[in-house]
Amino acid sequence: MPDDTTPTKTEYSSALAPTHIQPMNKAGKWFWLAIVLLAIVFSMGVGGFIWRWQSGWDDRPAWGYYAATFSFLLSTAQTAPLISAGLRLVAGPWRRPLARPAELFAFVGILNMLWFIPLLKVVPDTQHRRSIWFDSPISFQIWETIALAILISCGLCLLYLASMPDIAAKVSKAPGKQGFPVPLGLSWRGNPHQWRILKLGLVVLGAGYIIFLTFQQTIFASDFGLSLVPGWKDALFPAYHIVSSLQAGTALLTVSLFLLRQWGGLKDYIGLDTFKGLGRLLLVLTLLWFYFWWSSFIVFWYGRRPEEQLLLQLFVSGPIRPLFTLVLILNFVLPFLLLLWSPIRKSIAGPVIVSVFILSGTLLDRIRLFTTAFSVTESGEVIKNLPPTRLPDTADIFILMGGLAGMALTYLVATRLLPVLSYWEITQGKILESEKQFGLRKVRMVAKPD
Amino acid sequence: METEKNITEKQLHKDLLAPVFGFSRRFWIAAGVLSFVLLAAGLGFTWMLIKGLGVTGLNRPVMWGFMITNFVFWVGISHAGVMISSILRLSRAEWRLPLTRAAEVLTLMALFTAALHPIIHSGRPWRTMYWAFPYDFSREIWPNIRSPLIWDVSAIFTYLISSTLFVYIALIPDLAIVRDRASGIFRSIYGALALGWRGTNRQWQLHGIVSVLLAALILPVFVSVHSIVSWDFAAVTSVEGWHSTIFAPYFVAGAIHSGVSAVVVVMALMRWFYGWGKYLRPEHFDAIGKLLIAIALGWFYFFSMEFIFGLYSLEGPEIALRNMQIFQPPWSIFSIVFLLTAFFIPVSLLLFRKVRRNILAMFFLGITVNIGMWFERFLIIVPGLARKTPFTFDWGTYRPSIAEIGIVAGSFGLVFLGLLIFAKIFPLVPISDQKEGQAFKGEIQIGRVKIKTTLQD
Repeated sequence: MPDDTTPTKTEYSSALAPTHIQPMNKAGKWFWLAIVLLAIVFSMGVGGFIWRWQSGWDDRPAWGYYAATFSFLLSTAQTAPLISAGLRLVAGPWRRPLARPAELFAFVGILNMLWFIPLLKVVPDTQHRRSIWFDSPISFQIWETIALAILISCGLCLLYLASMPDIAAKVSKAPGKQGFPVPLGLSWRGNPHQWRILKLGLVVLGAGYIIFLTFQQTIFASDFGLSLVPGWKDALFPAYHIVSSLQAGTALLTVSLFLLRQWGGLKDYIGLDTFKGLGRLLLVLTLLWFYFWWSSFIVFWYGRRPEEQLLLQLFVSGPIRPLFTLVLILNFVLPFLLLLWSPIRKSIAGPVIVSVFILSGTLLDRIRLFTTAFSVTESGEVIKNLPPTRLPDTADIFILMGGLAGMALTYLVATRLLPVLSYWEITQGKILESEKQFGLRKVRMVAKPD
Repeated sequence: METEKNITEKQLHKDLLAPVFGFSRRFWIAAGVLSFVLLAAGLGFTWMLIKGLGVTGLNRPVMWGFMITNFVFWVGISHAGVMISSILRLSRAEWRLPLTRAAEVLTLMALFTAALHPIIHSGRPWRTMYWAFPYDFSREIWPNIRSPLIWDVSAIFTYLISSTLFVYIALIPDLAIVRDRASGIFRSIYGALALGWRGTNRQWQLHGIVSVLLAALILPVFVSVHSIVSWDFAAVTSVEGWHSTIFAPYFVAGAIHSGVSAVVVVMALMRWFYGWGKYLRPEHFDAIGKLLIAIALGWFYFFSMEFIFGLYSLEGPEIALRNMQIFQPPWSIFSIVFLLTAFFIPVSLLLFRKVRRNILAMFFLGITVNIGMWFERFLIIVPGLARKTPFTFDWGTYRPSIAEIGIVAGSFGLVFLGLLIFAKIFPLVPISDQKEGQAFKGEIQIGRVKIKTTLQD
């Protein structure tokens, strides 16, 4: 009986006293200043795109940074809701404060869809290259678009469903927060049937999001990475892209939670427990990042086939080596060494600093992978020559900055539309917690309903 | 149904120490049957020693057959212990408590059995000694230090040593319990093994630290073992279907899949054989069933990637191999059995709560997964070798001999006999963990139901 463990109306109302919901309705001058600044940088990105567009679709190497930006957004903002969905499935008690901040990133999917469309024009059809679609015409364009559209829809549905009790609890009627969301929550009355549907829906949509993101990332990594480089046959690359995204998505979430805590007035809700949990998760994902990279590298290294040697030069040891070294340091060496140390892992600042490293490393990693893949123009069975390394020009820098600003801007706008925290889940968490005297000290106990 | 809540400490000791302090008829029957199965392996092995590898079905180009398949299979099963004990300990999954020791002992037995297989496979086991020792670094003749085959030995023995340590450290408080109830020479032996355990605060503190440290340190070894086994294959470019970058995580995921399924089988057997229904309850099967769904989905993703990217380059030999695996009997039948038993049947059934809480169903699903996973390893190893060369006149096939079948069957006897003997000497369910679970157990009333609580910090 899932509805038995949900908060009662009285418990819920008391937990949602106006003072508790006040912070998310505040939008001070700093908020608007940030919006304006981000809008300006985003406009510069749009300008960069128009500039790049004027040089035409056929110059594929020129679009490498654009593709890298898309991949970064896919890896971070669109992966963040998965962290919430996954943790909700395994019922980690510390995850409650991060649920909504993570799911709000689903909004960024809309920006990412717009960002994606030009890429379809840039990348050639699969009939003239190796692909997972095996010569089937225009299938990659169709599947990529459908997969991304389903992923975004699933994310938005997940966000809406998870927000419904909070919207209906008149959160939106707090001072300065009337309007748009109110009709969305009108149908919610919090009866047992609705709670049952909600919980089932969250499980189904959460599982769906995990599956669709896995599918989307797999085909993206394959069509826009592997398939562009003749002879690059790496079955692990899509999985590497996913694991790297999980690491970067968690890092983005950690940084966002820190910002919400420091400047969003949510200190009372986002506590040390959440950062400790994220620190542990980041350590695991950092180790996985290295394991996936290494598993791929070692097979090529041992294989010693000429095309594999050339691929290693292309992505690891050739002119790209400084960038790769930086990625290795930022995505593995520093996070691993820092998070291994318990006082750092179990603090608030530690996981946040590590997350900044990881985000920087992932951005560079995406640049390494996608600008390189896009720079290969030769066709055939295997790659024969190393293409020149492409450094960013002004348009590329504008595009990169615009993409990052667009992500932040969309997120900030989303925080004005829906409650920033999942209050019903936090309330439920408080109800499920208790204390027990054990020997001389009290210990915290937590109930985990089915 | 009796619940754990009703169990007193006295009852707990009585139930869980019963196999250690008593001999039941069932024990002798089980030991007899398993010894008989083990004898099959003994006979097969002896025949092979006398006659040489010619009595096996191994022949060019397929020189790795049932024994190497079985080696990979048992290395896979050995991932059960660390998955259940270490990962679930670090992730604080409380439901793991009654399963940990059985899973860890299964790891030990499986690893020991796995390690025997390459030695048996060599045909002249005594020669392995002078192949390996003294180790020849200077002339760089085989065995090559850079070979994954050498890493295999290192990884497996490191894993065996660390797993033994892992089991032993967790066993110390229980050894003290047995010591306090044993008499005569047994009291001295258990006393020596218990290392003077008195259960003081300091001892518990140290025990806790060591357990967590070992749980964390064993994880890299755990991942490395099957990764290295996978690189035995993946580093080879001359065999179709082997040279794939995804092999390491694919093998590890498969190992966890088969290992955890094997734990389900052992859990059901413990419940029936020792009457431990109070300790291994449907909720434990439910939890491990959910875990299995997640593991199976992860494994299937890697399998799909391996398969799709095998065909990705549309190279002739690769297509010939996949064609053989999918369309040519008996390989096609093995492939169907493999996919149905390793993934489609178990996952579709495990989605139902009723199935997850049905012990008999879980027992059969555990066996089903392992049948599938055994075939998976067989389908990776043998067809690739059979189509090793691009020349069709040099293609081969493989038919196992009765000696190899006997050795494979006997390996199951060896593992289960090992478990049975361990349970005769040591408590198979961790008594101290059960007591701790009882002490920390609580309930809170929410709405109309009471929900069990577990320790958060």
